Amino acid sequence: MKMIGVDVGGTFTDFVYSDMESGTLAIHKVSTTPADPSKGVMQGIVELCQQNAIDPSEIAYVLHGTTTATNAVLEGKGAVCGMITNDGFRDIIHIGRHQRPEHYSIRQDIPWQARPLIRRQHRKTVPGRIVPPTGEELVPLDEEAVREAARELAAEGVEAVAICFLFSFLNPAHENRAKEIVEEEMPGVFVTTSSFISPQFREFERFTTAGLATFIGPKVDRYIAHLDAALRDLGMTAELRIMASNGGVATPKMVVEKPALTLQSGLAAGVLGGGWIGAQDGRDRLITFDIGGTSADIGIIVDGKVTETDARSTSIAGFPLLMPMLDIHTIGAGGGSIAHQDRGGAFRVGPQSAGAEPGPAAYGRGGTEPTVTDANVVLGRLAPQDFLGGEMGLDVEASKKVIADLAERLKLSPEEAAEGVLTILNANMANAIRSRTVQKGIDPRGFALVAMGGAGPLHGAEVARMLSIPEILVPPFPGITSAMGLLTTDLKYDLTRTQFQLSTDVDLNRINGDLDRMEAMLTTQFAEDHIPPEAISFSRMADMRYQGQGYELTVEVPAGLIDANALETLWENFHAAHAAEYGHAFRTNPIEIVNLRTIARATLPKLGALSAPAGGSRDTAFERKVQTVFRLGGKLESFETSVYARAKLPVDEEISGPAIITQKDSTTVVPPDASFRQLPSGSLLITLGEVK
Amino acid sequence: MTQRIDAVTAAVIQGALDNIAIEMGHKLMRMSYSSIIRESEDFGAALTDETGRQLCECTFSTPLQSGPIPGYIRNIIEVTKARGDELREGDVIMHNDPYGGASHGPDVAFAIPVFAHGKLVGFSATTAHHLDIGAQTPGSCGIVEAVDTYSEGLQFKAIKVYDAGRRNDAVWYMLNANIRAPHLVVGDMEAQIKAARIGAERYKILIEKYGEETFRAACEDLMDYSEKLMRDAIAELPDGEYSATTYIDGYMDDFDPGRRALPICATVKIEGDKMIVDLTGTAKQVDDRPINMPFVGTTDCAVWLTVRSILLDAVDYGAIPQNAGLTRAIEIVAPKGCLANPTFPAPVIARFCPGNQLADTVMKALAQIVPEKVSAGIGNLRIVALSGLEQSNHWVHMEIMEGAYGGRFGKDGMDAVDTLYANTRNNPIEDIESHIPVRCDRYELHDNRCVPGKWRGGVGAVREFTFLSDAGFSIEGEGHGFKPWGFDGGAEGMTASMTLVYPDGSSADLPSKVPYFKVHAGERLVCEGPCGGGYGDARERAPEAVLADVLDGLLTPEMAYVDYGVVIRNGAVDAAATAEARAA
Repeated sequence: MKMIGVDVGGTFTDFVYSDMESGTLAIHKVSTTPADPSKGVMQGIVELCQQNAIDPSEIAYVLHGTTTATNAVLEGKGAVCGMITNDGFRDIIHIGRHQRPEHYSIRQDIPWQARPLIRRQHRKTVPGRIVPPTGEELVPLDEEAVREAARELAAEGVEAVAICFLFSFLNPAHENRAKEIVEEEMPGVFVTTSSFISPQFREFERFTTAGLATFIGPKVDRYIAHLDAALRDLGMTAELRIMASNGGVATPKMVVEKPALTLQSGLAAGVLGGGWIGAQDGRDRLITFDIGGTSADIGIIVDGKVTETDARSTSIAGFPLLMPMLDIHTIGAGGGSIAHQDRGGAFRVGPQSAGAEPGPAAYGRGGTEPTVTDANVVLGRLAPQDFLGGEMGLDVEASKKVIADLAERLKLSPEEAAEGVLTILNANMANAIRSRTVQKGIDPRGFALVAMGGAGPLHGAEVARMLSIPEILVPPFPGITSAMGLLTTDLKYDLTRTQFQLSTDVDLNRINGDLDRMEAMLTTQFAEDHIPPEAISFSRMADMRYQGQGYELTVEVPAGLIDANALETLWENFHAAHAAEYGHAFRTNPIEIVNLRTIARATLPKLGALSAPAGGSRDTAFERKVQTVFRLGGKLESFETSVYARAKLPVDEEISGPAIITQKDSTTVVPPDASFRQLPSGSLLITLGEVK
Repeated sequence: MTQRIDAVTAAVIQGALDNIAIEMGHKLMRMSYSSIIRESEDFGAALTDETGRQLCECTFSTPLQSGPIPGYIRNIIEVTKARGDELREGDVIMHNDPYGGASHGPDVAFAIPVFAHGKLVGFSATTAHHLDIGAQTPGSCGIVEAVDTYSEGLQFKAIKVYDAGRRNDAVWYMLNANIRAPHLVVGDMEAQIKAARIGAERYKILIEKYGEETFRAACEDLMDYSEKLMRDAIAELPDGEYSATTYIDGYMDDFDPGRRALPICATVKIEGDKMIVDLTGTAKQVDDRPINMPFVGTTDCAVWLTVRSILLDAVDYGAIPQNAGLTRAIEIVAPKGCLANPTFPAPVIARFCPGNQLADTVMKALAQIVPEKVSAGIGNLRIVALSGLEQSNHWVHMEIMEGAYGGRFGKDGMDAVDTLYANTRNNPIEDIESHIPVRCDRYELHDNRCVPGKWRGGVGAVREFTFLSDAGFSIEGEGHGFKPWGFDGGAEGMTASMTLVYPDGSSADLPSKVPYFKVHAGERLVCEGPCGGGYGDARERAPEAVLADVLDGLLTPEMAYVDYGVVIRNGAVDAAATAEARAA
């Protein structure tokens, strides 16, 4: 079977082609075409097929990571949206949690007030009310009012409508009926309901998630339709699958119905790619660390599973997003991050970035601010002949100049300033990793760091050192790990049902009923994708908390029918999760099951094992010796450092640092007190020595 | 500014300190039980040095909780010393003395002394607003008729709940017997201790990693840095004295004129890179009503937070280290015995809303010199406490009714948010109705009620609740009697109100402070929030912005004409008619 993974990034669109039978692997890269990303995607597919003599009609799957939805939200360019909600609650998405994002600011903008997803004039209210605890109807839905509201919205030129009623997570009847009416009145318009998008309690977050879905819905719909048509025009019969934020892929139909699934499409693929790299070499506890030009994305994999966020910690462009997502932490730290002295004289790196234009001074495109890339150049870690295979070149003098200016302001030597830039950046990244590990009861010392992205391998070893992580894996193609990750996914859908059930009084029938119904719905969903029931595997999770707490922890629900014994296991799982996360369990307190979630997977064919190129040796790989500066044991020193060409490295031969390993899409730095070797899989394994 | 240590190490240690405080807050919030902590985020976490100087705070907790921590610590040190006792490794100290840093009893701190190589090097502390602390009526808000600090609940003055590692069970037995809803409150306190311990552990590791000397040098540099930011910002202001006065309702229906319409006065004096905030002229303390603001913990924090939010606005400055250096350039003067510096045992438990009015007054004074950095007058807040008994167990719920900001230079006011020194969160309706016998009937912005200005005032919210069973109820608020100030030709804002509607349709208007009373199933509470003041002449407001407000249902076309001189016909601005109306 032949597959192509396509990952659209901010600057480049990356492609990986894999032929599972022959084991052939090919990669390709084109510039992203922001106005219509499908153009770049199609151009790349055409070129990739031509260069490798692939018949497009033989491709079985195109797996796609897209930023269309994300960009629409970040740039505030979405559909004109309307909302129909309960009488008396017109402004839930405007008031939010009545909290300001910044404590210490008079002049701040509140995202949902300054950039509303749905303007007040397009928020209509209608009589009808569902109430807890069972979802009983207190006030019937006024269907005529819904119809009237839909007509008004149509007259106002609204392109997408979110139906958002209180307590719809307990009983979606009113939302569903209102949706039918709106669809009758506004044919062809994108309509969704909050209970369909995310049936969980907390109205501001759920309504906002539905609002986001409508905001991006029409755009995602058009994009997918466009891309699908373009693939067909090329004579392709390949199935298109889109990467979703939950770490699975979904069919075009699914994505069009639940467009918010794709809000972290690209990021999710990166973490999966990192996980797959680790698994190649038998490592299942990993920190994936993907550094590009402006940001670093961090993912955590425990026992082979990517950790997920809890529903309260996810947001995009300041808007809360109530959906299951992989826990990917992004910070503003990358190769383009600008080093500066702030108003009080403190030395800071980022979050401002020189981006791709003008980019670091080293790019010679007019950048005048000292960046992380410039620091790497000054320290001898990045050289013109290595950067992007020498195609782009680097202006070393420009880097030296901007770093010298910074050094003067800071009253440091240029080397100290450059090394300081890296230390501060690396410390910021280490703190970000700490917040995702140590703070959650995970000890990173038992993990391997997967250094990915163009700049990850430059920083990986030093960041790992700060966290006492002993080993670093550098994938064969660090710059396209996301595109590779796309070829390692499964189809994955999930459903959620809010319970609010206490351990002191559990309704087992309701639990089993809800689990059964979710399973049945997911089976139906997969049937529409032509996946037979026997190909589906299910897992079930519960979001739980001690009674009275406000934050849930997610634990596994035992398989099969839930009976008294299974419940005992469930409570025990929760106590254990609480103890792991917070260092303590309150064993005598009642537990509340807040949500039940069922996850269904159907496996897709995957990328085959990679192997290191044969015939390399240390001598043939050796290119030259350079002087590079490292801080060792607190002292800044210059070291004679060997530069190796990655493609010619031997397999399984330990080489001691300091060393620089070059390849087209990245440069790897091995510090003086570390060593590395190329594994049979083609990944590099850097091992840190004891701190001297 | 002489630096003791290189800028790189200072930056790295700053990041590590912030990370510790965030972890403390994260764990406390997630482990805690009562909605006032986990949903409203009314808690704090900070590290200090061994003298109580703050080094960092949790960025997402409430400023009014982290800000006072140094005051708690200083008092704990004093009291312990005065007793002839010592701080030892393994101590956990409980403290809520209103006149010893806490500024009101419900905000209980748990502080842990941190030792490195056997020597006291600092403190790790968490604070949180507790649901109940054993006052005269259920809950810890709306105790508006407390006559002295003794009637406000239990007072813990540097009590070691763990003494050198050994748990002092007697304190916990006493707590369990003297507070309502102990299962929640004690659970929250345990969460506080766990979070403080994590902070202490990380703090110790950090000091040991860098060595005490390096660590201290970095801390001194970081405090100097924050001080410099503030001094530089003050130095840009013209020297001189700038005064403002606003009023709090106090007890509007009280027979005693000394309890109502109380002035709060602030004079900001700029002398080079130093600022003096003089509160002389502020009403004298109310001896037997709890709206007094302890100097340490409320008055000082209200002033500091306001000055920082205006002069070092996060929009311009980003995140800056919140530490003791930030306040060095600001001196606060408040005559002893005034509302802003009361004397023990004057009651203080309801000082929250007066404190926010003090913050607003300081902003009004500063508005004269930094008009582009302030908002017009803010709408103040109200806290509602609800309680009841279920099988001999109390349930208690507190809800903060948001205010609204005044208009700002170039921007409208923020609608329906917590204001100035408060920044809590509301409880989801779907959480409230699932857990207490109350139905929410309405929660939205006012229709057709917004305050004119070139940049209009923020619009307040209306909330309505129906009680589904008999319950206890009280209010602690402000802003029913005095309108938020307009600025630079903008209109004055609108007051808030609260009404109890009986099932037969009759109703009673409530003042901004109502002590505990019984409400009955079927009665409905209507809370109308305040609207912030307008900024600038309404006739200069962009007609398109006026149109947008009309389309959004915040204004009627009539109001657009009367208030703004904008003529709207058929959903569009009539430019000619508008020009004519505005010329008139």
